[in-house]
Amino acid sequence: MMQANTSPESSAKGSKAEAIVSVQGVSMVFPNGTVALKDANLEIAQGEFISLIGPSGCGKTTLLRLLADLIQPSSGTIRIGGKSPEEARKARAYGYVFQAPTLMEWRNVLSNVMLPLEVMNFPVQERRARAERMLALVGLEKFARHYPWQLSGGMQQRVSIARALAFDPQLLFMDEPFGALDEITRENLNLELLRLWRETGKTIIFVTHSIPEAVFLSTRIVVMTPRPGKIETVIPVDLPQPRTFETRETTRFFELATAVREALRKGHGYEVTE
Amino acid sequence: MKMTPAHRAVFGGYWLGWLLLGLGFGLLLWFIVAWWDQSEPASSAQKLLIGLGFLGVVWGLARVAQQFVDTSNPVVGFTPAALTLLALVVTAEALLRAYQVPPGLIPTPSRVLSTLLEVRDVLLQDAFQTVVLEALVGYLVGCSLGLLTALLISRYVFLERGLLPYAALFSSIPIVALAPVLVKMIGIDWPSKAVIVAITVFFPMVVNTFRGLTEVSPLSLDLMRSYAAGEVQQYRWLRLPNALPFIFNALKLGTTLAMIGAIVGEFFGANGQGLGFRIQIEAGRFGFDIVWSAIIVASLIGIAWYNLVAWLERRLTGWHVSFR
Amino acid sequence: MRISPSLVPMLVVALVVLALYWPLMYLANIPVAQRALDTGAALPCQTAFECATQLRSPVLPSPQQLWNGFGNLMFPLNSPNAIPVNAAVTAFETVVGLLLAAVVGFFFAIGMVASRAFERALLPWIVASQTVPIIAIAPMLVVLLGQYGVQGWLPKAIIAAYIAFFPITIGVAKGLKSPDPMALDLMKTYNASHWQTYLKLRFPASVPYLFTAFKVAMTAALIGAIVAEISTISFQGIGKMLAENSRASDVVAMWVIMLSSAVLGILLVALVNWLERLLTPWRRTGGGAAIPAKQARLSRREGVG
Repeated sequence: MMQANTSPESSAKGSKAEAIVSVQGVSMVFPNGTVALKDANLEIAQGEFISLIGPSGCGKTTLLRLLADLIQPSSGTIRIGGKSPEEARKARAYGYVFQAPTLMEWRNVLSNVMLPLEVMNFPVQERRARAERMLALVGLEKFARHYPWQLSGGMQQRVSIARALAFDPQLLFMDEPFGALDEITRENLNLELLRLWRETGKTIIFVTHSIPEAVFLSTRIVVMTPRPGKIETVIPVDLPQPRTFETRETTRFFELATAVREALRKGHGYEVTE
Repeated sequence: MKMTPAHRAVFGGYWLGWLLLGLGFGLLLWFIVAWWDQSEPASSAQKLLIGLGFLGVVWGLARVAQQFVDTSNPVVGFTPAALTLLALVVTAEALLRAYQVPPGLIPTPSRVLSTLLEVRDVLLQDAFQTVVLEALVGYLVGCSLGLLTALLISRYVFLERGLLPYAALFSSIPIVALAPVLVKMIGIDWPSKAVIVAITVFFPMVVNTFRGLTEVSPLSLDLMRSYAAGEVQQYRWLRLPNALPFIFNALKLGTTLAMIGAIVGEFFGANGQGLGFRIQIEAGRFGFDIVWSAIIVASLIGIAWYNLVAWLERRLTGWHVSFR
Repeated sequence: MRISPSLVPMLVVALVVLALYWPLMYLANIPVAQRALDTGAALPCQTAFECATQLRSPVLPSPQQLWNGFGNLMFPLNSPNAIPVNAAVTAFETVVGLLLAAVVGFFFAIGMVASRAFERALLPWIVASQTVPIIAIAPMLVVLLGQYGVQGWLPKAIIAAYIAFFPITIGVAKGLKSPDPMALDLMKTYNASHWQTYLKLRFPASVPYLFTAFKVAMTAALIGAIVAEISTISFQGIGKMLAENSRASDVVAMWVIMLSSAVLGILLVALVNWLERLLTPWRRTGGGAAIPAKQARLSRREGVG
């Protein structure tokens, strides 16, 4: 069995190109004393697809929210494209896809995709064109006039992704976007997401608790373990692109999945949380 | 010395707010004392002072209230509200004196309080009639009948289809139109008001209890079936406990409806006693200080009754989502 | 002709009630009729039994009397003493009061959501007002407003507004606070200003709550308007008719007015329902939840209410 490269330092550096996301010594302690994240270090290069995987309490969502400036770290520095998270947020550097579609039920699909363009004051003439282009990108152009409740969960999430891409940010932060969907839909959407990634060239940071999903989607997998939340190891994924359904059935896929699982066990990610 | 929120309030950085509050109240109170026995309206300059006092109080209150926002102690957390009430009462007193508004039109708070003390015996008797005889009796009868009816219609679908639509129709009769009819039918003594109250609290009780008994998760019903539970057991172990939060909703709502029903009922005929009767008679005579006293008594009883039921609710259904 | 099976129970109940009504009516009215005959009143009948359905002040009016009563009070349709005109006046007062309450309540609700200090200072009083018989203030307020020259329909509308204010404020505040924390986070990732968040998220989210509050407030406002009309000399309105006929002891007329006011209440609430359907075309009739229950629980934070 091939050993995955599990040395944190060398994997954390990624490619030699200038890192677009840089996390140094970041810790997060909540007011009630919970240590959500301890001393995280990570460098992400432009164009990568990074998965954060781990059980509940490992800090993966916390790390994503720190990057998005939705919460502020207790210590350490974060740099996004050279800026602080707050500056990056104000410069609209990233799009965020939540666990639930979070679509506004009083707007139709097209109008939902236009929401960020309205808030960010994009020129009025541009808004519609951009939104329609994004809907076409996720394959939902025929549903532009529909209302959210008329769409399935998977379709609603695709609208949410289109919305996150509407203003063309460099980064995409995704927090377990397919967690509520059934496995079959999820595998289809994984394929869709990879296609989007190829066509747009964005840098994607993806939180998940599904090992196959992480292995299938990522260029590198950041394994995180709880008590306290920390980065256990980073595993590079050398599966060839473009990946297909068949990729899931290869030996290499299985080896990588096993490596991830063992890293989780090593860091006690498999013990029952209290 | 332990730094309680109170200590932090006074010695912390909110001194400006407290200063403004103190100055504002001081100004208003000084004016009230100065104008205690006066019969002349105040000059414009003095009215301006009142305005300044009020502004000081409001501004100070706005600043001071900030620090009570995050406390979990209910008494301390009530302070902004208490100060608001105090501010309104004191300002009203000052303004009414400044403009020398005749007490027959709008009585000052101090006058209302003194009248309340004066006539408390009469008001207590009125309250007994209105609250105990009319509202409470009607409430108990209406709620028990409502509970029983809900149990019946939840068990027998025929009754549900036959009675529930009529209940909806019946409940859209405004209390104020139902009351005179019932008073004429039953007489001006307290039973007529009790019937009004019973009818008024009956419908929300039926509707809410019915919802609680029937809006049970299908999975729980399947569970009961797998235990081979009979009808009675199903009610005892599943439907009734499930319905408790709904029942308490109706019980809380009912306390308000009962008070309103009794008071409005008395507007249409009473035998010389009762808070509603008192309010109507005195309003017609411009005895507004008595009217306000009666309203205060009714309000205090209403609040106490509601909170009693709410306390019972917390004791019996502390497990419910809304308390977490 | 087949009757829909769901209507059968209703019909059965109706028949049973009607069957019971007749004997009850006679039982109740005969003593009164006997007394009327004994006191030598001029009645167009001989026995107590006959007179039971001919009384001016029966305990329970006969269906025939009710029918005649409707005829007398509904027509001519535009007579100032008939129900339609008076109902329209009362409806007008109620609706105006409701709109007034909506405007003021909206500002108070925004204040409560925007500033926790404001909420702390005022919310206890708003909640307490729900448990207090506000209707007790109506007579006094009307007399007071009359003294200051506010007359006609305005004082009734003001009182209706006063009573409707509290349910509306609480409903709108609830609606403004209803958006999911995730939706609020979303606006934060767009670096949206407070005003943008209100305009694009909180206001539209509160519309369903506004309509629910309107339905509750409408019923309360109607009662307020009628009580206001009774508390002072009114020239028009349901309340005025009630007071008149109560004084004249015309029980049949009172029954007719009571039933008509119920219809008025139903129509007003139906109006709100119709408006709601018109203005919220996105309301689904059941169907799938936009946020699956599991996810909803994951995102719920304490204290968001």
